[in-house]
Amino acid sequence: MNRRLPIPNALQSKRYRATGSARRSERVVVALLMTCALGTVALSVLIVLMLLWESWSFFSSEHVSMTQFLFGIRWTALEVREVDKVEFGIWPLLSGTLRVTGIAMLIAWPMGLITAIYLSEFASNRVRRILKPSLEILAGIPTVVFGYFAVLLISPGLQWFSPSFDTFNATSAGIAVGILCLPLVCSLAEDALSAVPTSLREAVYSLGGTRMNTALSVVVPSALSGVISAMLLAFSRALGETMVVALAAGTLATFTLDPRQQSQTMTGFIVEMLKSDLEYGTVQYYSLFGVALALFVITFGMTLLGQLIRRRYREVYQ
Amino acid sequence: MSEIPKALQDFKPTEASARTELQKRRDRWFRFLCLAVGCSSVAILFLLLVSIAYQGTSSLNSNFLSASHDPENPAQAGMYPSIVGSVILCVLCAITSLPIGVAAAIYLEEFQPRNRWLKRFHGLVQLNIANLAGVPSVVYGLLGLTLFVYMFQLFGKLEQNQVSGVDFWGVQRYYQFVAVDDLSVIMVPLGESREPTLKIQTPRPAFDTLLVPIDLHVWDPATPRPSDPEVLRRTVRKGDVGAAVEIYSWYYFRLPFGPSLLAAALTLSLVILPIVVIASQEALRAVPSSLREASAGMGATRWQTTQQVTLPAALPGVMTGAILAMGRAIGEAAPVFVVLGGNIAKRSGPEHLMDSCVTMPILIFAWADNPVEQYRQLAAAAIIVLVALLLVMNSFAIYLRGRT
Repeated sequence: MNRRLPIPNALQSKRYRATGSARRSERVVVALLMTCALGTVALSVLIVLMLLWESWSFFSSEHVSMTQFLFGIRWTALEVREVDKVEFGIWPLLSGTLRVTGIAMLIAWPMGLITAIYLSEFASNRVRRILKPSLEILAGIPTVVFGYFAVLLISPGLQWFSPSFDTFNATSAGIAVGILCLPLVCSLAEDALSAVPTSLREAVYSLGGTRMNTALSVVVPSALSGVISAMLLAFSRALGETMVVALAAGTLATFTLDPRQQSQTMTGFIVEMLKSDLEYGTVQYYSLFGVALALFVITFGMTLLGQLIRRRYREVYQ
Repeated sequence: MSEIPKALQDFKPTEASARTELQKRRDRWFRFLCLAVGCSSVAILFLLLVSIAYQGTSSLNSNFLSASHDPENPAQAGMYPSIVGSVILCVLCAITSLPIGVAAAIYLEEFQPRNRWLKRFHGLVQLNIANLAGVPSVVYGLLGLTLFVYMFQLFGKLEQNQVSGVDFWGVQRYYQFVAVDDLSVIMVPLGESREPTLKIQTPRPAFDTLLVPIDLHVWDPATPRPSDPEVLRRTVRKGDVGAAVEIYSWYYFRLPFGPSLLAAALTLSLVILPIVVIASQEALRAVPSSLREASAGMGATRWQTTQQVTLPAALPGVMTGAILAMGRAIGEAAPVFVVLGGNIAKRSGPEHLMDSCVTMPILIFAWADNPVEQYRQLAAAAIIVLVALLLVMNSFAIYLRGRT
């Protein structure tokens, strides 16, 4: 019997649109999406322009010389009110930043890397189910909380340990920043370590290597580019960290290597300057844009280097 | 017969087993070290939460959640304005940054070009977003200060506490009078006048405080006083002087923005834009390409595929990323501090877009920086509220992620 098939619903309703209109609207949509992507580039350009434009008001002032800014070892923008007596030498702030960041990295790098090794090589599922969420919570805690923690617990702890520590000191801020960067190092390094194929690990086991041999002589070297870029990203994050140092590192710009003293950092200075009653438009006020430019150049360089290392030296396994 | 390999010729079983034992022991120690370090990060988290809970729980009560900052009496101080401020700020921030961020991610993931130059552009955008994520948030704050608060001083210099600029819409100016019954307030519209005060002589169009039009009655003190209380309510004494006041609608808009809610929200949305883009890209990348190919095989264009197949499939992931980014925005203090300043004396949440605003991290920062011990305890209590809010948001995000 010759039974006719019913016409499918989709064809009965005949709601097809011409391909031409779809292609035209496609072009409009792509243009819109591309504008958004261009917007992110424009954002970078705006940041650079803003920093150059505002810090030009600082560097072009007759009271500021570039040599003094780059090599001077006294920074008195907040202490001295007479503009011709103020000294603008970036080194106290830069050394403060480096002290805090150095201490932070002493904590974040080894702890983050070892935790990453543990997570990717040793951890059982049960431990992982505790450790991973804890690290995620730690990563989600606002930075101002770490600053409070440094003042509340770390600094008194250090003073109990040795009374020579100031109430506000580089070490307590550094430890807090280190804890803050720990989850970042750990998650990025773990991503890199778990991207190393299992076959490499199995090769080491077949040669009689222990897990430690595997981790230290094969897995970490194979993932080195990812590990280093994680470390650099954490470094640049620590350089730019603001609220912790504003609370815990003190307000005195000191040029020293002593981690027990107060140490105002570049970001700490920016916050202090905005808190002070100096008017928008004075040379001292504009000095914060000079500091911000220096900070931006350093962090941008670090991030760029981290990205390039990750891209160029990444070992790709099939 | 082949030679015995050298390694086997001088093979000493006892030495070899001793070496193996040593390796095994080292392995155990290493494993223990790893475990100890891993556990110590959990311990740090625990210590942090416990010490803050210990400091803060005593001041955490309903008054704390409903009152505002009190500069004299820490026992009466609360954080209500900052909760409202943070939530409104976060919503505004989501409205501005999510569409742009997701669109940029879609462009980067779904419309990968074949053209050589466009490919370069693609790589540049990608590298640029990674770099933007590494820019310190305080620098974004300075960008917001220059771009939104002062607008490169195109509209004249903005002094502290004094607004100069161009009003666009959402503001109404009135002269305020006290009615003869000494209870009601009568508002007389400013009209074209720019005078700071008005001496009333003749009846004018007028409104009560709820901006309902009323029939203004001007009473000459030389004539007898009206006795009807209903009339008294809309009567002013002839020759009274009223001062100009401004009433803002929520959509009040002016340029430059000044240290306002809108400026802070836009600045924060710049801070989280790279995070939104990266998270959305990851979510889109996780959609299997077979879905896209199936859609393309049905004759769909790339945008039709994205709109109807890829985006719905990636939506839980995009939402997760969005919520995590919002959590970041709520906790971010530095850019908001740069834009709004550290003033926490506001008694209510922001009332219009150009209103000043207090957020939770700013309040915590100001209290933690206060030398008075009681304010520091309040800071701990505020941290408990903030962290609890973040935990709720993040667990919702993790729940969404689990559903994919």
